[in-house]
Amino acid sequence: MSFVVCILGIVIGSVMIPFSDIIIVVGNKLFGVAKTGNIDAITTSIIWDMRIPRVLMAFFVGAALSVSGAIMQSTLKNPLASSYTLGVSSGAAFGAGIVIVTGFTIPILGFFTLPLVGLVFGLITVFGAVGFAASMDRNMDTNTIILAGMVFSLFINAILTLVSSLKREDAQRILMWQMGSFSQKNWTIVIIFLPIALSLIFLTMFFVRELDLLTFGEEHAKAAGVDANKVKWILLSISSGLTGCAVAFTGVIGFVDLVAPHIVRKLFGSSHRLVIPISALLGGTFMVIADLIARTIISPSELPVGAVTALIGAPFFGYIYFSGRKRR
Amino acid sequence: MLKVENVRCGYNESEVLKDVSFHVKKGEKVCIIGPNGCGKTTLLKAIAGLLKSEGDINLDGIPIKRMKRTEIASKVAILMQNETVYFSYTVYETVLLGRYLHIKGGILGGPTKHDKDFVMDCLDKVGLTDVKDRQIKTLSGGQLQRVFLAKALAQEPRLILLDEPTNHLDLKFQLELIEYLKQWANTDGNTVIGVLHDINLVMYFADKIMLLSDGQIVKYGEKSDFVDGKLLEKVYHMDIKGYMQNSLKMWNNVF
Repeated sequence: MSFVVCILGIVIGSVMIPFSDIIIVVGNKLFGVAKTGNIDAITTSIIWDMRIPRVLMAFFVGAALSVSGAIMQSTLKNPLASSYTLGVSSGAAFGAGIVIVTGFTIPILGFFTLPLVGLVFGLITVFGAVGFAASMDRNMDTNTIILAGMVFSLFINAILTLVSSLKREDAQRILMWQMGSFSQKNWTIVIIFLPIALSLIFLTMFFVRELDLLTFGEEHAKAAGVDANKVKWILLSISSGLTGCAVAFTGVIGFVDLVAPHIVRKLFGSSHRLVIPISALLGGTFMVIADLIARTIISPSELPVGAVTALIGAPFFGYIYFSGRKRR
Repeated sequence: MLKVENVRCGYNESEVLKDVSFHVKKGEKVCIIGPNGCGKTTLLKAIAGLLKSEGDINLDGIPIKRMKRTEIASKVAILMQNETVYFSYTVYETVLLGRYLHIKGGILGGPTKHDKDFVMDCLDKVGLTDVKDRQIKTLSGGQLQRVFLAKALAQEPRLILLDEPTNHLDLKFQLELIEYLKQWANTDGNTVIGVLHDINLVMYFADKIMLLSDGQIVKYGEKSDFVDGKLLEKVYHMDIKGYMQNSLKMWNNVF
């Protein structure tokens, strides 16, 4: 299913590309198989330089966000928690906002200044919020963490709004960045993002039982033998890292992290041995579809993918959530 | 088995346990009684190492402060009150989580046949074998209580701490549970420390009774020391003897 959707993501666009051409181009690029037929340089470039990196990026960003969401929900035993709740997105958007407004660039990094600053600010916000919660409440109660995250998030959002209203000419760019997009994603970005996302998701698989126990609450997990304080920090870091990197490269894309794990839990149960990998697949697939819609529906121009995920995600989420309730 | 010396413990600013000391021998069944808010739950959580405390709590001669979480969990299991379920698992999956310590983790790890059999055995003991594939969110309060008891048993502890385990249970299961715990404690020198509200159950179950009031031990001793009830009346501010006699009279009229 995921594979089919990814192929469709490559096929469909403002220029339609036959499936056979994709096979030929990929075969040529990866294995040096000679190109047959009459595939011109433009088609090759569309497939190899634009569509494939874009679809890969969409898939792995979707996967990363979903796994991040699943971790947050379980660690904070709150089905509505996400790393966005803890301020990753506000922090990252604020960092990006500063870069956009000031035009500041780190010499060696150049173009990568924006994502890197976004990531760093996102992580600072989460750890700031969690650290603040820890200083308020020794036992790091989940509600304290969520509330601290919201306080930080709202405060930083307010500053960002202030900044963008002072510099109106940059407001549009900040807004676009906040809604997220997969346009102009090239292989360099894929090569940086993919290993990070894959290794963090893989690392999460070592904590599936701890995640299961944490959903019952920290005391439960501790009583069963989990070093909950340490594990919670590790998991919050993995989750923030996943979201932070995704946000850094593609902007803020909401809802996937909330919807995908929820659907997986409804369909496959709560055991994280299944929830983590299936959320990754489902989130990735959903994101490829969302991106496909974002770039085709008002082709040749594009919608921000964040708007599409919210447009599909919100009603779908409502349907799944409430239909599940009625049945019970 | 357990030595508690000068333990003080509380939440943020307020101190709940004020200098508590007592010993529990291997194989004993201890019941903690006392009015609401006197620190019974806090004491259990402190023993399980779930709350930071001052003073010394030693398990088999080792201070729990120096023990890793896994070491504590290999000796002590706790059944807490007010268990809330946020995400639904099957009964079997939930009890299997109690085997956390015994099951190898990681991607290649997983329960062995022994683990699975052990879980089935625990489910059988609490009478939940029939509902093992049900989602725990669909269970009644009493069934859920038994799931968590089975999970605590699956941990294979030497000491079980029970916070009002008979809550939510109907009379039949209350008696069955108490009977089972008695049996569990009588085998292999297992130890039980339980908070119970029902004085009748306490008298039936306990070897020793601890009466807590306002974070301090008022009396800790053999069951026989509590028989005249004067102390209970003082702590609970009620006429316990009269209450019991009235109940008995009422039932005598019924049967």
